[in-house]
Amino acid sequence: MIEVKELTKKYGDRTAINQLNFSVARGEILGFLGQNGAGKTTTMKILTGFMPASSGTASIGGYDVFENPLEVKRKIGYLPETPPIYPELLVTEYLSFVADLRGIPKSEKSKKTDKVIELCNLGDVRRRLIGNLSKGFRQRVGLAQALIHDPEVLILDEPTVGLDPKQVNEARNLIKGLRQEKTVIYSTHILSEVAATCDRIIVIDRGNIVAQEALNTMGATGNLIKTEILVRRIGDNLKQRLSAVSGVKGVNIISNGTHRLVVESEAKEEIMAEVSKVVVESQSGLIRMSPVQQALEEYYLSLITGKGGSLS
Amino acid sequence: MSGSIGILKKELRSYFYSPIAYVILGVFLFIMGVIFAKFVDIYQHFNSVQRFGGGQGITLDKLATYLYQNMAFILCFVTPFLTMKLYAEEKRQHTFELLFTAPLRKFDLVLGKFLAAYSMMVFMVLVSFIYVFFMILWGNPELPIIGTTYLGLLLALACYVSLGGLISAMTSSQAIAAVWTFIALLLLWLLQSLGQGITAKTGFVEWGPLLVFLSPLGHFNSFSEGLIHVKDIVYFLSFTLITLYFTHCVVESNRWR
Repeated sequence: MIEVKELTKKYGDRTAINQLNFSVARGEILGFLGQNGAGKTTTMKILTGFMPASSGTASIGGYDVFENPLEVKRKIGYLPETPPIYPELLVTEYLSFVADLRGIPKSEKSKKTDKVIELCNLGDVRRRLIGNLSKGFRQRVGLAQALIHDPEVLILDEPTVGLDPKQVNEARNLIKGLRQEKTVIYSTHILSEVAATCDRIIVIDRGNIVAQEALNTMGATGNLIKTEILVRRIGDNLKQRLSAVSGVKGVNIISNGTHRLVVESEAKEEIMAEVSKVVVESQSGLIRMSPVQQALEEYYLSLITGKGGSLS
Repeated sequence: MSGSIGILKKELRSYFYSPIAYVILGVFLFIMGVIFAKFVDIYQHFNSVQRFGGGQGITLDKLATYLYQNMAFILCFVTPFLTMKLYAEEKRQHTFELLFTAPLRKFDLVLGKFLAAYSMMVFMVLVSFIYVFFMILWGNPELPIIGTTYLGLLLALACYVSLGGLISAMTSSQAIAAVWTFIALLLLWLLQSLGQGITAKTGFVEWGPLLVFLSPLGHFNSFSEGLIHVKDIVYFLSFTLITLYFTHCVVESNRWR
């Protein structure tokens, strides 16, 4: 659906993005991850046709962004970093203006407006001035604007910044609800955001893509997962008995205060069940058993701080 | 085309949702009212002097010409208030991103914005028709001359508004846009005297008349005297079209930075 080849943008001497190559399949949610100033917004602005690239090509739905800007713009819904709203208009007036811009015929206008108002949960504020709305509502008005023409591709630039936790959750669910129907590119600098919403991520750092893969394989060493086990005491031969469970590749005992073990094993439920059984039978006093989730975070940090971080 | 109508509708809404349209309309009509009252005063004075056999009377048409020349000048002060926000505000509010990522031609954008500010100005000028009504009631004005005057006003306004739009597109501050628009319009008016001065004092016959021609003042004055010259119409229309074209270029160039 989206093809980007050798895309480069320079602001004077400064290279904002450097020879990006990636593609997004139809129906996929792509997380675009990077620190502030890494080049996320620049890439999005080029994809939406807001600004031209210095070199390279980008195409959406088979249309080149530079050669057929109008065709491309018809297919895209875009929510910029700052929601593009007019504070002096009512929510309904604003959406009706966007519908005019999008060339939606008069007969469908009220139907489509009502649809996005419902989708973005704006029913209570439809007759209020946008200038008087809270940040969360403004963001949702921005999202409604991006969705009104039912675009095939949605490009969202940090859509959850400034929202409260409940609203963040709502926004994520809304975006997840669009999966399959729409292709979504979603930029953020918050990692948990990506983990919760996206199918695949691209990590961009100082204008370069440093990693690009499906989320469920990211940060895992092969197919192994780590499980942390807290116990009251280390029972007889616990380490040996755990190591003997088939599928377990390694056991580390870390005793500081409470007794902590880290078990590395294949990612299978049977193995987990067996491990817990062994711990209980060894009379160690099981307190907690949980998967280690830091892998993704550690991996991400290693990528953007440039301290290695290889994928097997 | 549907894009420009959308822009036009939104701009007109914005004008009437903020106090600016009402304030400007009020101030403009007040100033014009004061001038018109003075105008009536002078007319009565000259006529009474003439009735007692002293000197020459002044014709209503001569006075009407002065009235409308004043109006054309005062509209220079009004224009910046209506054109300052056209593009500057979009830039400040980050709404250019919306306009540029919608399937909207830049030309439609420029046209829509021009038409919005222009129709506001035309509306103001049409309100001043009430003076014509008074003149007919108590005098005997030459209606064809008034007609050509209004034609001249409409053409001059198109110049003003397009120039204001161009300047607004160059900045993201409404105040700066307003100040520069005002300065630019004032300079355009002064070109007339400047050109005449140059011709008279230095004898640069090549440059003086050119400056005079570039000023809208002389072109408008011939309309207000009841003359319709093709060169005046061409001046106003080409001024407007060229300025709109420049605006289009400036708006387009914003993307390249």
